[in-house]
Amino acid sequence: MPITEEMRARLQAAFAPTELEISDDSERHRGHAGYREGGESHFSVHIRAAAFAGMGRVARHRAVHAALGDIVPRIHALALDIGT
Amino acid sequence: MTDAKSRIDETVKANDVVLYMKGTKEMPQCGFSSRVAGVLNYMGVAFKDVNVLADDEIRQGIKDYSDWPTIPQLYVKGEFVGGCDIITEMTLSGELDTLFEENGVAYDKDAADKIRAANA
Repeated sequence: MPITEEMRARLQAAFAPTELEISDDSERHRGHAGYREGGESHFSVHIRAAAFAGMGRVARHRAVHAALGDIVPRIHALALDIGT
Repeated sequence: MTDAKSRIDETVKANDVVLYMKGTKEMPQCGFSSRVAGVLNYMGVAFKDVNVLADDEIRQGIKDYSDWPTIPQLYVKGEFVGGCDIITEMTLSGELDTLFEENGVAYDKDAADKIRAANA
């Protein structure tokens, strides 16, 4: 399963988001540190969910990191845009 | 406390603003580190840079210290503030200005306003 699909499944289950967009930006980083052939190194996530209400920025990021679990150490970069 | 943890603890408490990054503030080696160092440089903030690529123990240790999996990591007065996304958001919202003001960290407000105007 592509990592984007694994990420989508875990984020859906954890937060029931109203908006969820995940992109694999790896090609834009070709030649940069962390790029590897075949991609799946650099990702960005746009997520909106009521579950984030009342949480500070750091707590929101930590919640997403926790939901993604072992995916985080497998990838090189993860840009997060988190809101309610 | 492990050796890495005590070294980090000492650094973030001895310096008002510390950026753990890949590369140095003069020569960043990653786009995300470069962006945060660039904001601080542009805002005229005096900060200590720690190049995690030069020290494997710190490279892993800083992730354990803050329970945060990525680099860069910004600390103000010993407190973890965030990584690249959070610092970018806080710069644009003005929250970073407030944080610096509350902690007595000197910065150039006009430069911060220019960043916001350019990204409006």
